[in-house]
Amino acid sequence: MTVLLDIKNVTMHFGGVHALTDVSFQVITDEFLCLIGPNGAGKTTMLKAITGVIQPQKAHITLNGKNITKYPTFKRIRMGLALTHQIVQPFYSMTLKDNVALAAGHGRIRNIFGAMVSSGRCREHERALELLDLVGIGEHADQPASGQPLGILKRLEVARALALNPKLLLLDEPLAGLNQIEAGRLADTMALINRKGMTIVMIEHNLSEVLRVGKRLVVLDNGRKIAEGMPGQVMHMPHVRAAYVGKEAENVTA
Amino acid sequence: MLALFLENVMLYIELLLQGLISGCVYATIAVGLTLVYSLLRILHIAHAGLFALGGYIGLLLTNTTGSLILATPLAAALVGVLGMAIYRLCYQPILNRPPYVALIASIGLFIAMEEIFRLIFGPYGLSYTQPPLQTTYTFAGMTIRAVEIVIVTGSVLILGILSWLAQKTRMGVAWRATVDDPQMAESFGISVLQVRYLNFFIGSALAAVAGVFVSLLSNLVEPTMGGVPSYKALAIIVLGGLGNVAGTMFASLLLGVTEAFGTIYIGEYMDRDAIAFAFMIVILMVRPQGLFGRR
Amino acid sequence: MGIYELSLATVVCINIILALGLNMITGFCGQISLGHAAFYGVGAYTAALLAKAGFSAMVSLPFAMLMAGIVGVIVGLTSLRVRHDFLAITTMGAGFLFLGIVRQEDRFLGGELGISSIPSIGLDKAGYFLLVLLLAALAAAFSLYVKRSWMGFAFEAVADDEDTARMLSVDVPAYKLAAFAMGTAMAGLAGGLYAYFARFIMPDDFGFITSITILSMVAVGGIGSIFGVIIATAILTLMPEFFRFIGNYKLLVYGILLFAVMRFAPDGLAGLGRLVFKRRVVKGETP
Repeated sequence: MTVLLDIKNVTMHFGGVHALTDVSFQVITDEFLCLIGPNGAGKTTMLKAITGVIQPQKAHITLNGKNITKYPTFKRIRMGLALTHQIVQPFYSMTLKDNVALAAGHGRIRNIFGAMVSSGRCREHERALELLDLVGIGEHADQPASGQPLGILKRLEVARALALNPKLLLLDEPLAGLNQIEAGRLADTMALINRKGMTIVMIEHNLSEVLRVGKRLVVLDNGRKIAEGMPGQVMHMPHVRAAYVGKEAENVTA
Repeated sequence: MLALFLENVMLYIELLLQGLISGCVYATIAVGLTLVYSLLRILHIAHAGLFALGGYIGLLLTNTTGSLILATPLAAALVGVLGMAIYRLCYQPILNRPPYVALIASIGLFIAMEEIFRLIFGPYGLSYTQPPLQTTYTFAGMTIRAVEIVIVTGSVLILGILSWLAQKTRMGVAWRATVDDPQMAESFGISVLQVRYLNFFIGSALAAVAGVFVSLLSNLVEPTMGGVPSYKALAIIVLGGLGNVAGTMFASLLLGVTEAFGTIYIGEYMDRDAIAFAFMIVILMVRPQGLFGRR
Repeated sequence: MGIYELSLATVVCINIILALGLNMITGFCGQISLGHAAFYGVGAYTAALLAKAGFSAMVSLPFAMLMAGIVGVIVGLTSLRVRHDFLAITTMGAGFLFLGIVRQEDRFLGGELGISSIPSIGLDKAGYFLLVLLLAALAAAFSLYVKRSWMGFAFEAVADDEDTARMLSVDVPAYKLAAFAMGTAMAGLAGGLYAYFARFIMPDDFGFITSITILSMVAVGGIGSIFGVIIATAILTLMPEFFRFIGNYKLLVYGILLFAVMRFAPDGLAGLGRLVFKRRVVKGETP
């Protein structure tokens, strides 16, 4: 039971908005942790802080024992993180296959001189096809990313993140935009990858899938951690239910 | 000793004045540019051509009618309309393309305009038959021409009115909303198209007025007059911050003054135009978002 | 080929090297540069000064590339700081700065009058043309190679979406600098070759208009496309010569052409070529 990612005291505010206040939790190697909470709880902000896209005012983050709090994004990625985005960001000018192949070739592009002297893409194209098949969009591999429906682009994000061979996979609402069957399949794929030995942290609103595949939950609300534990336990905690219901009530009266 | 000091002070004041005058001209050009940039993220280089056109029309109308007061608003209106046409015919169809497309199209348009001026009006330029506003006034040992006074007061007035309009009128609020978030503005019932047309009209009219100013200062309009002031205006909009009209005006004045002083002190190392850009680069290194930019 | 045609052909090849350099920065890596002529100038002045000091072309040309590349990296570093919206204006500023300094520098750089009496490279017109042709071919081959390599792949990613590229472990600043270094070195080579060709250089040869001219060769050819850029460079360089009667209207035609291409065919010649190719394939003809 080793701690892969240790997050301590993350506090982030933009202008007057307190996105995160003193959030701490750990991610154990090989676990499937789900980060849940009502809209605006700060979940995406948390992932961005972990990958370094944003710099919180206060934070102490260690990956495999190394303090990565001040590292730039690309360095954290090289240390074994991979992230998919809530709002998809494919390379629209490339095909699906090339999108994934680029990620698969991350070893080659580490160093600009190394990148300059290597040119074969066969291996990476093969790997790309493997991963695209894994997430169920293999048949579209040679199509350009622009013009693809959201369901396909979301799965492209996952395939691309997997191609980085990460130690820790961070997924930001990978199931949003997928129909029930696609969502179920993708969740199963994630569970399979997790069983094979990949640590996963997933933000999701689709609670039925979360409860089905997630092994442990962390609940955020209004920028704070309000609960942590096994899915069954956490969902029965009154303050957790209140947080969700409260937000729904707010939405109704708004 | 005191005489020397006073002489220097006189020099500084003269330089300051010179700088403010050219700063006012720059401001009149740059505001039009920043209006377009903030709305559409396009570097509207053809603006330089509209500036020159304004100078030509203003001069020709003044020569034929003898009245500068009549010629200037007319020139502004005509060029304003042309500006709107340029938006509709040139930019609107390519808005969804990568930014270099509009940039190069604008450059092509500018080159074509310069050439048309040269072919129609000749390469050596035109002058006023009776240059207006040439009376000089002296006070405190310095001379200033009427035209310079008009430029400063004129630009302050025009830009001041525009700022007030932007804050207080419905159209002004609509413009600011559209700059911030066009989709949201549209959902509030604002006609984004109208805002754009107005934007180009005002910006182009301003360019025309600036063209008239410059024609009065040097009693000359010539085909290439649009180039250099507009390149500097580009540097200014960077410094002033996006959509920040006040910031652009301040940056214009600052640039004018920096140039005036810079030419004296570092003029042997680089020419006047380079000073403007050196200034811009130095500022950007310290504050990459410009003097007044956000984030 | 007569002397006149040889000169023309030489200029075309020099422009090809220049345009391919910009293509690497702007086309491959997506960094819009409006100051490319400055690096052309750095190369030209470096080669001219070294040549006049007695060094052979074997020394002056590589040095020209090196100097241009170094200045290119400096400008590249500058570009890393600013928002990408401002990149175009910053590079334009760098161009004006170079021009402004050179114009005023009388002691070594000849100021407004430039540098004249640059010694010959030691080849006759035909020989020189062959040299330049060879170097242009090398430039094209190099561009092709980079495009196919993983460096080119990373460039594509940076040009498409640099934030996402970062997410995929790409060291974006390093790649941008690499693009600048290579593209500006090529411009420096072109500059050195121009110095030996014209035997006389002056600041106005390397001004903003020149930068725009080069950019338009890349844009009309199709940003990023190597063959498109080569063809467009040839056409734009030769156009005023073939349409002699245009003479007085040369710049006007040029401006209209630039505008028209961007307005109606923004992907340039390469885009048009692809369209034609696709139609033929769809029609069932053998590609």
